Amino acid sequence: MEDPPSLNDKSNSYVEFIKAVYRTVDRPVTWLREKVVVPNRPDNVYYHQKFRRVPTIDECYTDDRVCHFEAQQQFNRDKKVDGEIVQLVRQRYKECLIAEQPDHTRKCAKLQADFLKVSENFCMKYADLGPLNNVKDAYMKQKHRMLWERRHGKVGTGMKNQDAL
Amino acid sequence: MTTGKERLGRRSSIPPKFVLIANLLRAFASKVNLPKNAINQGILVLRSNPNNALQVVRQMSEHRTMHIKPSRWSWNRFKDFMHFYIMLGAIPAALVITYINLFIGPARLAEIPEGYVPEAHEYFPHPITRWLTKHVHKSYQQEYELMCHHIYEIEYEQKLRQAENRIKRKMAEKQDTQAYYYQPVSSRYERSIRDNAQADLEISGSV
Repeated sequence: MEDPPSLNDKSNSYVEFIKAVYRTVDRPVTWLREKVVVPNRPDNVYYHQKFRRVPTIDECYTDDRVCHFEAQQQFNRDKKVDGEIVQLVRQRYKECLIAEQPDHTRKCAKLQADFLKVSENFCMKYADLGPLNNVKDAYMKQKHRMLWERRHGKVGTGMKNQDAL
Repeated sequence: MTTGKERLGRRSSIPPKFVLIANLLRAFASKVNLPKNAINQGILVLRSNPNNALQVVRQMSEHRTMHIKPSRWSWNRFKDFMHFYIMLGAIPAALVITYINLFIGPARLAEIPEGYVPEAHEYFPHPITRWLTKHVHKSYQQEYELMCHHIYEIEYEQKLRQAENRIKRKMAEKQDTQAYYYQPVSSRYERSIRDNAQADLEISGSV
């Protein structure tokens, strides 16, 4: 299916007139900003902070509270980063849905699969842990899930009888 | 309540030109020079006179009235607060923030150069956040390391206390130590009391 028509393809006198009206306001403002305001500003630079990896909670001794604190802070930072990743994938999927509206089931299938996978992984790690952001709870959740999978098979395939090991 | 109009006498013998001017000036005077309430109450009266257009005559009388009306205290206080917070708060803040946004502007994102450790304030784009981070707030690394050190100290004391409690419990269980439990005694306070008493004796001559 072809792209929807855009104003950049063809134009008529009405479109040109509207563009000219826009330009009467836009041109002076843009000129002022590009030639006067921006060159007189100091050129400050900012960076994205990179954090060193510290030992995670499974590599800490049980009585080493400083190690626990550092693992907790790393867990918080990782949770924020993973949350942003999920947001990006979700935003891409949503934009595809809106843009391809009648054909979205066909055209956005890959993005939908990606989003479901990413959000499933996020929930496996971070969800259902309560309001406090405890790294030990997340670690125990992983341990319980592995035990459950050892007894009953992959998550989503149902529970076997009680005495299965 | 008497008004100025009723107190004006001899209206019929005054030339109409003066009456007109007097009315106009009365309307002006009540706003400009003369006290409002005095005009309303008729204490000061504008009376027409052939020599001058206007003559202010104070008509002193015992019948003074109080203008009973609702209090304007809250309204006046409200106006004071509005003026204070807008003139000294909102407008200077808006001007400063506009200046900073126009003439300093936000920083642009860049890669960290090799071997360079940026300072804490170089991780933020907006100039006001940068200034605050540089001059007011503690950086993330500083607070993190302070917390780590605090936990280290607290953990040490906790472990000492836990060991002490384990030993006490074992001594209570087994009852095999020959001596009674050791009670630590500090004579710091006794010494201080003795020194204070001696100083008092020297100064005052008696205890």
